[in-house]
Amino acid sequence: MAGAGRGLQTRWANNAMFAVQFDSEAGLHMRGIKKIMFFGSKKQNKFEGGGLVLFQAVDEAIAAEKFLKAADFEVKLVAPPPALRKGCDLAVEFNIVEKAGVERVLARKGAPFVEILPIKGASELLDIVKVVNFDTACMVKAGNMKLTFDKNTGVILNISGGGCPDIPFLHLSMVDKKITDVARPKDNGHTLCALMLDRAFVEALEIFRKEAN
Amino acid sequence: MLLICGTIPQEDAGLLLGEARFDGSKLLVGNTEVPCTQGTAALASAACTVASHCRIPAPHAVFAGDTGSGKGSRLIYDYLSKNLPQIKPDILLMHYILPVMGLMKQVCAAAEKCARKPIMMADASSMYAAKAAGLAGQFDIFTPDLSEMEFLADPDAIHPAYISRHLFRADIAHVDDLIATAFRQKSMAKTVIIKGATDFVVQEGKVKFTLSEPDLPPLEAIGGTGDTISGMVGAFVDAGFTHLDAAVAALKANREAGKYAQATPATRISQIIAAMPKILNHN
Repeated sequence: MAGAGRGLQTRWANNAMFAVQFDSEAGLHMRGIKKIMFFGSKKQNKFEGGGLVLFQAVDEAIAAEKFLKAADFEVKLVAPPPALRKGCDLAVEFNIVEKAGVERVLARKGAPFVEILPIKGASELLDIVKVVNFDTACMVKAGNMKLTFDKNTGVILNISGGGCPDIPFLHLSMVDKKITDVARPKDNGHTLCALMLDRAFVEALEIFRKEAN
Repeated sequence: MLLICGTIPQEDAGLLLGEARFDGSKLLVGNTEVPCTQGTAALASAACTVASHCRIPAPHAVFAGDTGSGKGSRLIYDYLSKNLPQIKPDILLMHYILPVMGLMKQVCAAAEKCARKPIMMADASSMYAAKAAGLAGQFDIFTPDLSEMEFLADPDAIHPAYISRHLFRADIAHVDDLIATAFRQKSMAKTVIIKGATDFVVQEGKVKFTLSEPDLPPLEAIGGTGDTISGMVGAFVDAGFTHLDAAVAALKANREAGKYAQATPATRISQIIAAMPKILNHN
C-alpha cells in the first residue's frame, strides 16, 4: 500500500480490487477509480498472459500499464498471487513471451519496476550455454537458440532454433555480418526467443574476442 | 488441402492468402514473392516441393508480416478463428505465430466447428502456445527439437526459455525420460517427431522409429532444417501417408538433402531445399 500523502492506494470491495486516488488530508477520492482483476478469478481474468511485472508502488503499476497499452501490448492490472508478491500488491499481467519488448518500452519510458516473472514455472531465464566447435566455426547454444559464427572472421554464419516471429527477422538482419558490428538481439527482438538468442550472442562475442586476442 | 499458417519477416506485408507455389528458388503466395528464409517460408517451400513430387495440389498459405510485434500473428489468429469452418482444410499446420494462449484456444475451437476436424499440426511457437494453453491433446503432430522436448516435459514452463534447470541437458541420453514425463503430463500430440542428432518418432508415448544416419552435425547449425521437416511431414500426410510414414519419409529426405548439399555450418536452408527434388526422386 502507498503511504500517507498524495498517491494511489488499493482497496478491496465486492471481491475485487480498486485503485483509488489518495490524499491524506482529503481522504479517498473515488474519481478516476480503476477496477483491478483479482488474480485467480477466472470469470473476470480471461486474458492469460503468463507474465507479471511487479512494482514497488501502485502508481508505478498504473503508469506502466498505460505505457504498455500505448505501445500496443495486451496487458492488464492484476493483484499478483501472494507467493509472487514483491513491493506493492498491484502488478501488470502481460504475455511473457513478449518480455524483451515489454522491458524495452519500460526502460525507454523510465518506468521503474521491481521484477518481471512468469506466473508459474522457473522464475529465471534458462542461462545454461553450450558450445560446439566445428572446423572453423563455433556454435553457441542457449536454450532453444543457436548462433554459429566463423572463428577466424567473426562473421555470423547461421542462426537456428527458436520459434517466435522475430527470429526469422533477426536471422535476416544478423547473418553474414560480423558479430562485432551488429546490434544485440535483445535490442531489436521482442520475445523470449530473442532473449535466448541474445544470451548465445553475448557468449559468442566473448569467445570471438578471446580467440582474436 | 494442407493449410500452412505462419508469419514472414516483413513488417508491412499484412495478411497473405492463397496457394503457395515454389519454383525451386522463389516462394510465391498469390502474386507475392516471399523470401525463402528460415521459418515458415522454409517450411512452405519444403511442403511445396513434396506436394509437387507426390503430384498433389499445392498447399495453401495464411501468412502475415510480423517481425515480433505480434500484429501479424493476431491477424492470423483472427482470420483462422473466423474462417476455419468455411476453409475446411484437411490439415492445419501452425508455425511461427506469436504464442497467445487465449487466441490459440479460439483457433482450436474453430477447428472443432469444421464439418471434419482437420489434422492438427504445430511446430515452433504454435507448439509452445498449444502446450502452454493445455491444448496439446487436441493436436495430432508436434515437431520439437530436443530443447523443445524438454519444454514439453516441464509441467509449468510456458516457453522453452523458462525450462527448469534440472530438465535442461540438451543431450539425447535422457530423451526416454522426457518422452515418458511429457506423455504422462498430456503435453504430447498423438505423434511427436523429435528432431536432433538422433531423430525420434513417438506415438502415444512410445518410440516407433529412430534415425541417426547420415550423421551430419552441421545441420543443427543451419536455420530452417527443422522447419523443412515439418513442411514435408504436412505434405506427405496430405498425400495420404500415415503419420508415421510421413515422419519417416521427411526425416530421411532432410538428412539426405543435407548430405547432397554437402552441408556446412554456413549452408543456407535454400540450398538444402534445392537438393530435395533430387533426393525425393531417388527414393
